[in-house]
Amino acid sequence: MEVTYLMSIEKFMRSAVTGWMVPHGEDSDIVMSTRIRLARNLTGIYFPIAFTEEDAMTVDKAVSGVLLDSAETGYSYMKMADLPVLERQVLVEKHLISPGLANPDRYGAVILSDDETISVMVNEEDHIRIQCICPGLQLEDAYKHADLVDDQLEKELAYAFDEDFGYLTSCPSNTGTGMRASVMMHLPALTMTKQINRIVPAITRLGLVVRGSYGEGSEALGNIYQISNQTTLGKTEKEILTDLKNITVRLIAHERKSREILLSKSRVALENKLFRSLGTILYARLLQTGEAARCLSDVRLGIDLGIIEDINMSILNELMIFMQPGFLQQYADAELTQEERDTLRAKLFRERLHAESTSNSIGKSEDV
Amino acid sequence: MICENCKERPASVILTQESSGGLMERHLCEKCAFQSQTFQFDPNQEPLSIQQFLSHWFGGADPFQAPQQNRGAANHGPECSSCGLTFSKFLDIGKFGCATCYETFKVQLPSVLGKLHNGHSVHVGKIPISFNEIYSVKKKIEELRVKMKDAVDSERFEEAAVLRDEANALKAGLDNGGDVSDVD
Repeated sequence: MEVTYLMSIEKFMRSAVTGWMVPHGEDSDIVMSTRIRLARNLTGIYFPIAFTEEDAMTVDKAVSGVLLDSAETGYSYMKMADLPVLERQVLVEKHLISPGLANPDRYGAVILSDDETISVMVNEEDHIRIQCICPGLQLEDAYKHADLVDDQLEKELAYAFDEDFGYLTSCPSNTGTGMRASVMMHLPALTMTKQINRIVPAITRLGLVVRGSYGEGSEALGNIYQISNQTTLGKTEKEILTDLKNITVRLIAHERKSREILLSKSRVALENKLFRSLGTILYARLLQTGEAARCLSDVRLGIDLGIIEDINMSILNELMIFMQPGFLQQYADAELTQEERDTLRAKLFRERLHAESTSNSIGKSEDV
Repeated sequence: MICENCKERPASVILTQESSGGLMERHLCEKCAFQSQTFQFDPNQEPLSIQQFLSHWFGGADPFQAPQQNRGAANHGPECSSCGLTFSKFLDIGKFGCATCYETFKVQLPSVLGKLHNGHSVHVGKIPISFNEIYSVKKKIEELRVKMKDAVDSERFEEAAVLRDEANALKAGLDNGGDVSDVD
């Protein structure tokens, strides 16, 4: 099937790129993004699992009233029930809303800041979920930002809070701080050397969780892992952030060491693997999600190690998001079969990467 | 699969019920499961879901065994006066229905929360500013009353009267400002 494309790839990519995808700061080659989520509920209204549509509207009105009226930050409001399925899926793929919110039966809505750093999910599992997502390792800054939005809401709204239990949430795993802090890490060398299998259980014992980047229960697609705090009681927000940061810093050091060892012990084999992956994303005619993710991971590692040049890292970040089914179908403006998606994915990779390598200036000007 | 009850939302919960014709499986969404009388999750559905985690530790049925037997005991324990959630049902669905549930299950919660949070069940993090203010006023009233008692005991009645007025003024401020009824 020949799909008519409505926009140029570059124009579409610009709309697909959001703040956290542009590499930022030290160690941003390994830590791709940082996310903070705060769960809050209003007092006197049942939690979403038990509430009525009327309750949902009350919450929605209260929260959007506070944020949309604020002069400092520009926000836009989107009701899930009003969004087409594909647009909801795209928001999930951009990590701006949770898959749970995209489920339209929940009366959910999202209030998104203009720079897409803050998304306030309304009537997800809790009445309010404040999310802040930033590029690189920025736990303190991301928390500060989310905390400010929390203060802003709290000034106007009465939260369900208890002296002993803290912020009251629908799920007991969030009770207390209501905070989930997470970092998304690219750990190819720890994966290749199978050390990750040893590390994951050790991290779990420290009250942290390791998951594949595409949410709960998924395998680590493209060697990308999400590490987050498991516990929300008995520790202050600061302690939770410090613990997570310490582990992240240690993982970065481990990963770097493993990369050095790989380079010194089997340079040719490593180069062979990475360049083959580069060849695949530059020339393949069919690319499945798993293969695309694996190849992107290899090329990313190649760039980090100085083996592969002339590929812009932020283009890889874009492609990582862009290769997902929702984005592809939104770009095509049609529902696609798997084969059509694999064809389109391969085509976009080729065009984006070739455009990039023939005129580097395009990619760079977009980084700003 | 669509929820058998509301026929709108996707079914995410498998409920096994005993009926005259033997065991019957019903596929429900989270919301309808919450509203249903008795139910049980399919242990094979989500191996490490919070529901199974909780019912494994606290609930009757072992989530790693086939669903069977006694759900007659499903309505044991306290029941939330606000949303009607019972403690055993809370263990089954792994979610609270409202903020009052926390008050209702106050006795049972420390052990549940402790299992989930490395032995901790007390919040030590952020306190909402408004709550902080109320909390500090309450503390201040308590302090004033202790001082007042001291003053009375040592027969400094004028000082005691001043302290009493101060405490009453603070209390009146609290009573006007919100639902702080437990100062006395």
